[in-house]
Amino acid sequence: MSLTVNTTINGQAVSASAEASTSLLEFLRDTLEMKGSKLCCNTGECGACTVIYNGKPINSCVTMAADANGAEIITIEGLADGDKLHPVQQAFIDTGAVQCGYCTPGYIISVKALLDRTTKPTAEDIEEAVSGNICRCTGYNKIVDAIHLAADRIAGRA
Amino acid sequence: MEYFEPKSLDEALSLLAKHGHDARVIAGGTDVMVDIKYKEEPGCLINIKKIPGLTGIQENGGSLRIGSLATIRDVEISDLVHHKLPVLWDSSHQFASLQIRNTATIGGNICRASPSGETLAPLLVLEARGKLTFSDGEKTESFTSFFQGPGKTSLGTKGLLTGIDVPYPPEGSRGVYLKHAVRGAMDIAMVGVAVLITPDAAKNNLQDVRIGLGAVAPTPVRASKTEALLRGKPLTAALLKEAAAMAASESSPISDQRSSGEYRRWIVEALTRRGLEQTWKAATGKEVA
Repeated sequence: MSLTVNTTINGQAVSASAEASTSLLEFLRDTLEMKGSKLCCNTGECGACTVIYNGKPINSCVTMAADANGAEIITIEGLADGDKLHPVQQAFIDTGAVQCGYCTPGYIISVKALLDRTTKPTAEDIEEAVSGNICRCTGYNKIVDAIHLAADRIAGRA
Repeated sequence: MEYFEPKSLDEALSLLAKHGHDARVIAGGTDVMVDIKYKEEPGCLINIKKIPGLTGIQENGGSLRIGSLATIRDVEISDLVHHKLPVLWDSSHQFASLQIRNTATIGGNICRASPSGETLAPLLVLEARGKLTFSDGEKTESFTSFFQGPGKTSLGTKGLLTGIDVPYPPEGSRGVYLKHAVRGAMDIAMVGVAVLITPDAAKNNLQDVRIGLGAVAPTPVRASKTEALLRGKPLTAALLKEAAAMAASESSPISDQRSSGEYRRWIVEALTRRGLEQTWKAATGKEVA
């Protein structure tokens, strides 16, 4: 059964049809051709599909596209300002927190959501914020470095 | 697959009356969406998130009323839950990931009736009750009788869980929820043990003891024989050992890809011992004699 999804993605009003069984991730990637949010486990366990939904990070693979109706969604495509990368994106590059890169959009979204809440995250805050994101390459240390660097830059400390 | 977004409880209940066996209720969707993709699409999907009045966490006399659509994150960031129901807070804090906690609802975790459902053993020891609504009325039911088997509850196909009442534990009590899993975050509990104890006024004996076991039987269960063994006694090392072994014998775990039944029994023993020790110390200020 088809339904119409009226939503706001990265500040832009979007209207498109979806099936009741369509996930928000499928809606983004297949209907809207926004491929930045990644499909990986497709069961809500790895975080590669993380988007910000009404201010909160969620797994778009286990969210119904129908639930995007009336919601505000932020995806990785919405972070850069033209050619200027978001401080979290820049910090990931500058610290080398990226290897294969597949988990990176999900991480960056989780970290943006964290730094929207606080620019002075504790070690515990950081661990909690990215505990739902799995990276098989980096060993996590550089990701944590990137989060500290992004927080410092956003707060004007670096 | 038909799809409905009822705007009221009455509308949802009449949809359930009409589509009952063929219908699946969806709220957060973190379990149902996975089933739709990897198991089977139901004939009809009823999204209850647009029904007003089912969210929020409020104090209601000596208990807390939690709306069934409250997310696990709502539970986790509630000061009331943190201060009054630490054993429930423990389980919300150890629940999957932040992304899932932002989406999954407590009502969904309960109605899914998975033996490993993270909030269930804590709700059992807190002696929480569900508010069940049917088209011909509503009733309040203890969660000790609500769970009937994996995925089976007394809601059947026609009822909705609309609220959860959690009475505050007795004055002076201490509780803890201990979870055993391979990975700290995301992982489903191999075993979850909730312990809530209340010492007597002199802090010499266990006046009330409640032990809930998760993931080790077809439903979450209370270890009632172990509770009876402990009641009225001081917690000595010998009693602690006996009680932990008894809790293990009260469990009936299956073997699956996450662990063998035998291993789960060992973990029940270890977590029961640890939980009793911790809560005894916290409640009485004394070491186990």
